[in-house]
Amino acid sequence: MSPKNRITPYAFIAPYLIAFGCLWLIPIIYSFSMSFFNTRARPWKFDMLHNWGRLFEDALFLATLKNTFLIILVQVPFMLALAVIFAVFLNSKLLFLKGIYRFAIFAPIVVADAAYAVIFRLLFNDDFGFVNQLLNAVGIADIAWTGSSAGAIALISISLTWRWTGYNAVIILAGLQSIPKDIYEASELDGASRFTQFLYITLPNLKPVILLCLVLSTFGTLQLFTEPTLLTEGGPGVSTTTVAMYMYQQGFKSFNFGYGSAIAYFIVFIGLGLSLIQFKLLGSKSDA
Amino acid sequence: MRSATKRLFPKADRWAKISLNFFMLIVAIVWLTPLWMMTIYASHDDQMIFSGSIIAHHGGQFLENFAELQSKQDFVRAIINSVIVASAGTFFGLVVSSLAGYALARFKFAGAKAIFAMIIFILAVPGIAIVIPEYVILVRYMGLSNTYFGVVLPYLANALGVFFMRQTFLALPQEIMEAAYLDGASELRIFAKIALPLVRPAMASLAIILFIACWNDYLWPLLVLTTEARQTAPIALGRLVGLNTVAWGPMMVGVTLMTIPFVTLFLLLQRQIVSGIANGAIK
Amino acid sequence: MANVDIKELRKNYGALDVIKGINLSIREKEFTCFLGPSGCGKSTLLRMIAGLEDIDEGTLAIGNKVMNDVPAAKRNISMVFQSYALYPHMTVRQNMEFGLKLLKLPKEEIELRISETAQILQLTPYLDRLPKQLSGGQRQRVAIGRAIVKRPQVFLLDEPLSNLDAALRVSMRVELARLHEELDATMIYVTHDQIEAMTLADRVVVMRDGQIEQVGTPLELLHSPKNLFVAQFIGSPKINSFDVEVVGNHGTQVTVTGQAFSKPLTVEMANAANLSSGTRLTLCLRPHRLRNDTNLEHQITGTVQLIERLGSESLIHLDIGLPDPVISSSEGTAPVRRGDQISLRFSAQNCLLFDTQGAALPRKLPADAQALMGTDAQHVA
Ligand SMILES: Nc1ncnc2c1ncn2[C@@H]1O[C@H](COP(=O)(O)OP(=O)(O)OP(=O)(O)O)[C@@H](O)[C@H]1O
Ligand SMILES: [Mg+2]
Repeated sequence: MSPKNRITPYAFIAPYLIAFGCLWLIPIIYSFSMSFFNTRARPWKFDMLHNWGRLFEDALFLATLKNTFLIILVQVPFMLALAVIFAVFLNSKLLFLKGIYRFAIFAPIVVADAAYAVIFRLLFNDDFGFVNQLLNAVGIADIAWTGSSAGAIALISISLTWRWTGYNAVIILAGLQSIPKDIYEASELDGASRFTQFLYITLPNLKPVILLCLVLSTFGTLQLFTEPTLLTEGGPGVSTTTVAMYMYQQGFKSFNFGYGSAIAYFIVFIGLGLSLIQFKLLGSKSDA
Repeated sequence: MRSATKRLFPKADRWAKISLNFFMLIVAIVWLTPLWMMTIYASHDDQMIFSGSIIAHHGGQFLENFAELQSKQDFVRAIINSVIVASAGTFFGLVVSSLAGYALARFKFAGAKAIFAMIIFILAVPGIAIVIPEYVILVRYMGLSNTYFGVVLPYLANALGVFFMRQTFLALPQEIMEAAYLDGASELRIFAKIALPLVRPAMASLAIILFIACWNDYLWPLLVLTTEARQTAPIALGRLVGLNTVAWGPMMVGVTLMTIPFVTLFLLLQRQIVSGIANGAIK
Repeated sequence: MANVDIKELRKNYGALDVIKGINLSIREKEFTCFLGPSGCGKSTLLRMIAGLEDIDEGTLAIGNKVMNDVPAAKRNISMVFQSYALYPHMTVRQNMEFGLKLLKLPKEEIELRISETAQILQLTPYLDRLPKQLSGGQRQRVAIGRAIVKRPQVFLLDEPLSNLDAALRVSMRVELARLHEELDATMIYVTHDQIEAMTLADRVVVMRDGQIEQVGTPLELLHSPKNLFVAQFIGSPKINSFDVEVVGNHGTQVTVTGQAFSKPLTVEMANAANLSSGTRLTLCLRPHRLRNDTNLEHQITGTVQLIERLGSESLIHLDIGLPDPVISSSEGTAPVRRGDQISLRFSAQNCLLFDTQGAALPRKLPADAQALMGTDAQHVA
């Protein structure tokens, strides 16, 4: 670097730092402190446990938490398994017409959440949706996609899987392509079958990347908002209301900023906690 | 090598090939169905959609549906708003990110490490944590309610963008910039004339990713943009859903209008988009 | 052209001292090489001269003007980087123009300088090509060209040839020597290739661990190394070293014995030495001084462990019962085979002696070296 040039670096980074300070740093501190205030009182009143205490007694909040976790525990692993399979297949020498498959699987990346939520709402309409019609055609009775909690959770999960599997497959594919080819060639000479190679070479080498996808997906699901809002409107009942939707309701429908902030921070801490557990469980020291 | 493999698994290879291609064909069909059906629904009237039979062909109602959509809600305007917001967010986001990423990659300065650590931390903090105070600050205190400016501002402080650009600039040989410095170029000139031209492909990737993210954003514009004249396409769509009075056909026209340009763009720029996502995540 | 004066120069990265007090005067128009093992601080020192690294302590003067706080662009230097550092998106012409335009030179002047430089470096046909459309050697010439067009007082080159293949390196080495003649410029050249240093340099600066071990002409370094490090670092194959013990000292004559030698040998020193019997020393002998020549007085006997036939010479590794084999550089057709028991001979006047701290005991130069270096050379070491 050029010496005697003490100010230049700061000039370059200043726009970001200013934006960062105003739009992240202050809000982060502000919202954290807000969570310790009773924001329903006029003026706001400091009350350490007003919001945080309420979190654990609020049956509605706990219900939304449960819904969110259900998706994290069921949909995320399924989606990542699928993403690994897609990535491995897309990377395989045996697949023809890769361009088409790549396009089909990756295209949802560019589709807006709101747009695809509306498409799926129509496709999965209980009465006249394309999916139920298809099921009827093969002799299966209508499924209550929006009318039952199980159906609604399934609907959200299917939609998320359609939208995000490709995104994760992109990351995993990049991870795959960074595995040195000669490892495979060496193991081929040792007589390893494709499946053995997958188990003992591909998966271990992909671990950091899969972990990264897991963490990203967990954070993403914790913030899930658009899809349930537009697909099921959180229903039936509150069976697909997520924590993020509940935060929105508390913050901007009931204008209880303090409680909303407590919920938001709860999401942050849970996210950090979960990713920590995931790092531990998968035992990766990688820096991915 | 290749022939050795063939000898090892001749049969397995053929079956693996067939089943793998078949599996992916099914996947591709399933994956493309929603987008295909979107265009089909957009071209039928509600009578047809409610008919209860499988519709597998395009109808002739697209323009009628579009007219009805426009009469309920100026969707073209909403798309224009989206373009404005996403373009501004992308442009300024790129400027801020590339300047900051360049500083972090090229200079050693007091605080650089702390700033970088902070960026990594921020990458882990979900945006949702700050929506409320951001709203309070920008809308309540700064009075930016229902302004494009208010929507775009948070896109400027993009930790992922800074991280991405830092990695990109780090991959450039430092000596090229040093040579320019020895040639007497100012730091701003080195940045603009030497460094930037060399990272153009990476910047294109980041631009596309930022554009999609801005275009996609739902919660934040929902909070800031309160009138129909200003709202972005996703918000307009959400509002239509909420109204419960708009027919499906017109709604699907809206969805199609805001989706097809991106899918086309993706078809053209797949490489940049994919490498942008992979690099942002893995590097 | 200008001289470069360095006084007590220091630099550290945090707790790590990289340059530990360097004093060096480089004369006008001199070709100086910084030579030393990897990580010894050669590049850092060069970059401090260039103005790419801060100077923590000491002074740097170019053309008798202190440059510590002068920005790099105003030091009137040019630098050629190991990786060439060409601007990849600019043509050869634009690469050379960039700095000149920033100097606000008139257009005609720029044109003139570029065409002149292109002529010297045979780059004229390539002026409108991008770097990626050039071969490695051509890129290297563009990098040099970019340095030349600025007509600097001092050229700084950091391992400019290390990215080239062996053949190209040899031809570029010749070209660099020619350029130095032609430009009549002060050049500072970093390398860890001692052949480059020995063939190109007027003077070589041998560095180790952030310090200068010795400054001298290539021949001085070979024949009068100041210490054991320089003796062992310079010369290929590496010099042979033996532990010896003083058994007698009469004025300038020092007699030593060692396990490797069949009888005591007496070395002629430059000045009267004062060594008591029993003093431990290290004796060094260059491989090419160890030959199958019965006229020579002393001999070393052992078993041939390995023969490297390099064409014009053969390297014979001789196991003499010590941990390290003794290496002799003999003629290419030396009629020996592995396992042979042979004796090789040498003359005591070609031996170098070092004390236990590694400092050289100045010897009387052998006649051939003295003839090469001039009569006063013996006082140097
Ligand atoms: N930016 C830096 N931060 C910390 N240490 C550094 C930095 N740059 C160089 N060093 C250290 O300073 C020492 C000298 O480095 P320098 O590059 O000058 O060596 P060199 O003699 O040029 O070696 P080589 O022949 O390998 O190029 C090395 O030990 C190196 O690790
Ligand atoms: Mg170096």
